[in-house]
Amino acid sequence: MKFWDRLLRIDRRWLYAIIWLVVMIPLLFPFKIKPMAMPPVTRLFNYIDTMPEDKTLVISVDYTPDIQPELHPMCIALLRHAFANHRKVGLLTLQVMGLGLGEAAIRQVTEEFNSRATTHEDSIINGEDYVYWGWTTPIITILLGMGERITNVFPVDYYGHRTDSLPIMAQLKNYDDIGIVVSIAGSSIPISWVNFANTQFGVPIGCGATAVSAADYYPYLNSGQFTGMMAGMKGAAEYEQLVADKFDELGIRWELRRKGTEAMSSQTAAHIAIMIFIIIGNIAFFITRRRKK
Amino acid sequence: MSADPWTWIAAILTLAVFSFLYKENPFYRFAEHLFVGVANGYAITFYWHRVLVPSLINPVASGEKLWLIAVAVIGALYFTRFIPKISWLVRIPIAVMLGYFSGAYIPRAIDAQILQQLRATIVTRSMFGNWQFGLWAVIIALGVIATITYFFFSAEQKGILKPVSRIGIIFIMVGFGASFGYTVMARISLFIGRLQFLLGDWLGLIH
Repeated sequence: MKFWDRLLRIDRRWLYAIIWLVVMIPLLFPFKIKPMAMPPVTRLFNYIDTMPEDKTLVISVDYTPDIQPELHPMCIALLRHAFANHRKVGLLTLQVMGLGLGEAAIRQVTEEFNSRATTHEDSIINGEDYVYWGWTTPIITILLGMGERITNVFPVDYYGHRTDSLPIMAQLKNYDDIGIVVSIAGSSIPISWVNFANTQFGVPIGCGATAVSAADYYPYLNSGQFTGMMAGMKGAAEYEQLVADKFDELGIRWELRRKGTEAMSSQTAAHIAIMIFIIIGNIAFFITRRRKK
Repeated sequence: MSADPWTWIAAILTLAVFSFLYKENPFYRFAEHLFVGVANGYAITFYWHRVLVPSLINPVASGEKLWLIAVAVIGALYFTRFIPKISWLVRIPIAVMLGYFSGAYIPRAIDAQILQQLRATIVTRSMFGNWQFGLWAVIIALGVIATITYFFFSAEQKGILKPVSRIGIIFIMVGFGASFGYTVMARISLFIGRLQFLLGDWLGLIH
């Protein structure tokens, strides 16, 4: 059997092994990559950065554990940005599997800030600086109900407190008090936010999407129905970089893990490997086809 | 290396799932079945505690909203599917759900996903204030027209339809290419996430 025929019949497990090594080695010995933020991410960042102080950032944690590596870093980066900028945050999830992920994200970021806080003003307090409404169903009822009264949709928060007793809810009644909703999802939930919150109530919508969904969402970015978008782990890394630059600007010198950015050297290496696979595979295909003719 | 037993369980289950890449085996099947069971159990628990108890059982038990019993009965008709003699009753809750969601969804979807998308393809003179915006607006408008022409099956694709639909194919292929590229990135990202867990949280090799 000729070399090219053998190459076309290679056991795919060898390719898995190569990809395993190509991804693992840069994780152990990373090369430095500074992500360059693309316009969709920059637009989202700038909108949140400059939105009026009395408006709340709402993060809809609409992702599940299977796509956590792509989307969880986005949620962490958004929370760091909001709290560093002294913005109020409301969290909810429209996916029951996202409940624990939302709680893990808010716990991690509040601990980062509170462990370094010296005054009450520096601390991030549940019920004052943020609220985690948790999850309920069905989606349409929630998205329409939040336009009237959020406390009716979520009578109790994730931790079991009555939401109408929380200080943050005094200024957070409905969509009028929300600056932007960022839906982080691996499904079509961001489109539901567009359909109901944006189209009916005029609330700006941002999106954190898995890379698989990103191509489907660009039309909404082009039409202005999405204010900005983070696409996949690369989008998360870009937002993390913008937040890191913001921390520098604010004089915050904390060493915080940025999982999206950490992954970029592995991602780059894997992309190069797959491009090489595609080129070699095509060369082998055309050579063997010409020989058969 | 982690001392947390839950991290060890997660790591072993991750390796069990990855073992499928070599070949189908009992470890993979165990992990798969365990995942399905846990995910369903988790979802059912939350539906009970976060939906049924606060929205139905508590208001009815306190006598506040007794009319919810009628709603619960209509919802319970879904289970008549399991009783052949009265299985036709399942049409009632399906009709209610279809009516509500169609009414709530269709008008907004037409506005958000058709009218506003159409509006975004309109090329206006103001777009050419920045030549890049203008160029992209023209390309998007051409792409939409050419792609829709490709899917126009009411007439044979000859004459002017033929070259336009060919251009449509190019746009479709570029779209497929972008989707494939993004899909590769997504799958690699998920693998990276698992390796970050195995090498970092479990083995402590990366911090």
